[in-house]
Amino acid sequence: MADEAIMDLPLPERAPIPSGDHSVWADVSPLLDAACKDLQDGMLIHGDNFNLFAAMSALEIMDPKMDSGIVCKYYSVDEAIEDGAAPVPISSDRTVDVQCTIDIMDHLLACEATWHKGHSLAQTVFSCIYLLRPDRTSSHALLHSYCKVVRATCKTVISVVSDARTHEEEDLFTMSYGLALHGDGDDKCLSMLNAVEETVNRQLRACKAPSSKRRVLEDFVPLQNNLELEEAYCKALLCRLRFRKHFYHVLTCMRRPQGRGLELARKHIASCISELQCMLNSSEFLRSRSPGTHEGSIEDKTTASGCQAIGFDASLNCRLSAPTPPRAIKILSWKKAIEYFMKLLHDLDVICSYPLDPSLESVLHFVVEFQKSLPDLVARAHLQRLLVEDGKLYGRDPLFGVITRAAAVPDSIRNHDMQKHESIVYLGQLVINLLKILCTNSAWQRRKLGKILQDWRVVYIQLEMAFRKESGESTDSSNDENACMNIAQHILVWVEEQTYWIASRFLILGFELELYSQSEYCMVYWYIYVVLIKILEKKSLKMAASNDSGKRRGKKKRDSVKDVARDIRIPPAILFLQCQICLAEGLATMLAALRNERMMVQSPSPFNTEHERFSQHFELLQKACIPDQVSYPLFKDSTTHARLLNLVRYDHFKDAQKIVKEVKSSFSNNPEKSAELRRLEQVAEHNSIALNIISRAGALDPSLKVSFEFNHHPYLATAVVKRS
Amino acid sequence: MEFLSKKDEEEARAASEIEYVSYEGEDHLPLIMGLVDKELSEPYSIFTYRYFVYLWPQLCFLAFHRGKCVGTVVCKMGEHRNTYRGYIAMLVVIDSYRGKGIATQLVTRSIQVMMESGCEEVTLEAEVTNKGALALYGRLGFVRAKRLFRYYLNGVDAFRLKLLFPRPDLHSPTSPSPSPYMRLD
Repeated sequence: MADEAIMDLPLPERAPIPSGDHSVWADVSPLLDAACKDLQDGMLIHGDNFNLFAAMSALEIMDPKMDSGIVCKYYSVDEAIEDGAAPVPISSDRTVDVQCTIDIMDHLLACEATWHKGHSLAQTVFSCIYLLRPDRTSSHALLHSYCKVVRATCKTVISVVSDARTHEEEDLFTMSYGLALHGDGDDKCLSMLNAVEETVNRQLRACKAPSSKRRVLEDFVPLQNNLELEEAYCKALLCRLRFRKHFYHVLTCMRRPQGRGLELARKHIASCISELQCMLNSSEFLRSRSPGTHEGSIEDKTTASGCQAIGFDASLNCRLSAPTPPRAIKILSWKKAIEYFMKLLHDLDVICSYPLDPSLESVLHFVVEFQKSLPDLVARAHLQRLLVEDGKLYGRDPLFGVITRAAAVPDSIRNHDMQKHESIVYLGQLVINLLKILCTNSAWQRRKLGKILQDWRVVYIQLEMAFRKESGESTDSSNDENACMNIAQHILVWVEEQTYWIASRFLILGFELELYSQSEYCMVYWYIYVVLIKILEKKSLKMAASNDSGKRRGKKKRDSVKDVARDIRIPPAILFLQCQICLAEGLATMLAALRNERMMVQSPSPFNTEHERFSQHFELLQKACIPDQVSYPLFKDSTTHARLLNLVRYDHFKDAQKIVKEVKSSFSNNPEKSAELRRLEQVAEHNSIALNIISRAGALDPSLKVSFEFNHHPYLATAVVKRS
Repeated sequence: MEFLSKKDEEEARAASEIEYVSYEGEDHLPLIMGLVDKELSEPYSIFTYRYFVYLWPQLCFLAFHRGKCVGTVVCKMGEHRNTYRGYIAMLVVIDSYRGKGIATQLVTRSIQVMMESGCEEVTLEAEVTNKGALALYGRLGFVRAKRLFRYYLNGVDAFRLKLLFPRPDLHSPTSPSPSPYMRLD
């Protein structure tokens, strides 16, 4: 068709490009002109491949919301440097030079925190012109050494985060191509930093020494010219340099294999924290040296002095290859940056103080507890790297051993050939995958946990089939076969327990992420309740089996959980779980009763019913049959008859309170569990009281309003009764 | 993508004067763009608007009060991982007209068309801080399916909301017999 069009058009006036062997050249301008005449106002050409992504990726030039501006002050780094945007030295006045150097250090710290918090490296740390041209600063030892260690630190952090692969989060974080991340000799950054630190330290000692001694150091050059300020400037610099040194040490120690550097890392973490404190203390002096610069609150400034740092231009990188999002970003304030690093160091310290317990249950518990403090990406990446290395736990414990221990397989048969089995190897991969997922941010974590439930279901079936096949094949009932069957039984029970644990974590994370609305609490607590019951069942089975093994091998399985629970001594872990079950059951029943008695009314939705909402919330659990036979009709059936009167008569919350009292002493030397028990007790107590009030006054007082709040526990709600 | 204030049923005083119109062509585009640009945090290029209104004009509605455009909804629908899915891209009501049920009216019209066109579900994203929108969609039967970490350019998380339309086979009364421990009465 194009050829035809060309034929009809007058010949181009320009000299045609000579045709080659495989090509014929023609001017298409007349064709385009003609086509344009066919287009009316408002008409569009729509290419099939122009999809939503293409539309969303398009930018409108000069739209302030989209276009952060390619026209910046300078067209290149060199032009900026020529124009004096980043002078070396920063000032010929040595006092001003030191002052400005400190501002640069502070602004870099603010940039670094902003980067950690999810912005691109190009728009944050590498908005520093001094960093972009590593060689230029070589005559300025202070700035040069600082820039070197910052670059080396960024490199180390990027490598930890990319190793950890925390999924979508690191996309922007690790993008660094086109940036001068690898300065010459950056690997020796510490020796240079140490030398500079030593010099400043000597300068500090010199200015503090009595004047009689000063004469001895005649060839000695002070940091700057104003002797009255010498001490304070030396101190302000020293804490900044030392922070960098210790922080770099923290990162390298934490990367040592098998957690060997953790103890040393803790020492450096403590030093970092104390240097940060010194930096905060120096801000009063620094502010006093720059009067009149504090328009607006100091809280918003990116330096301790409140001055704008010299040598930064975020727009320069628009022209570099490193991708910058189309928007200008706001750099965190210096105060916020210090807060960020304090929190990061605290989180890293928690990781370093973990005793690398070989028990998987303890690891899972640790990660879950760690996540409660909402650690940021860098801390989570470090944890993940520590937990999983070379396909082993802590790079040390092979997964088969970890699994058999978790499954309470008796010691005598743990070293079995079974570990080479395909399904067992796959199970090991699932455990590694689970550990990695647990280190990601809760939003991503929940999505992945929901998805892997299916894998855990599948591996269970595979293992079951494999074990059955194996026991069928072997004809002699040798000791080896017995051992194999024994391991198989233990592992199968454990896989189920673990699957339900993942399901419970998936459900509970929904509260943290605020995915449930009050009208859905009933079904969520009901689901948590059925899942917890399953965990209890498997846990009890596991415990019973490990107690039985060796003694009563003939009697393998028990008929019901309650039998186990009635054993003379119920283990505290089981009682703990029972307490949670009582609370979940109590809440589900109370919510159902309130609805059934029309004390919490919800207007029906015009487009669907509760059934669809149930399917949506629990789709992934239902797909993986977790638990078996649990469905919406079952939920309906078990909640439609809930009544307040019955609930008061059989108060689940009172049961929970009783269990707490019983189990308290078993956890007296475990502060974390004791605190959790206290929270459970409070939920139980408040709900029990609320239940009594509602059942007595509710029918008589229609103005009574019941709502649910999380003021005692992060995911177990407490009923709040108010008169409207 | 939405921004709404708290709906208040009592305040639907002027609601009867609001006129709802289906997208009628290029003349409506500047009205839609003006509203969205002003009220939503996310910037959209002209291509994004045209992408939606040219391909799915039947899913786009505008609300007028005495000739002035005070609200709009922009949507799409299509195949998504083996389901036919509707998507609400933008929903805006100008500040002084909020709380009168206009957004509910607008979005209900779009969802209705989606349902009639055979969609199995409807999705959208809303900022986690946008309580008004979350409440509105909650009333319409949407569930918060996922939280999307730092979804927006401004760094705020989003919820992915989902509305599942009833499927005939979902409501069959074949329930397995409940085990005794699951009965809560």
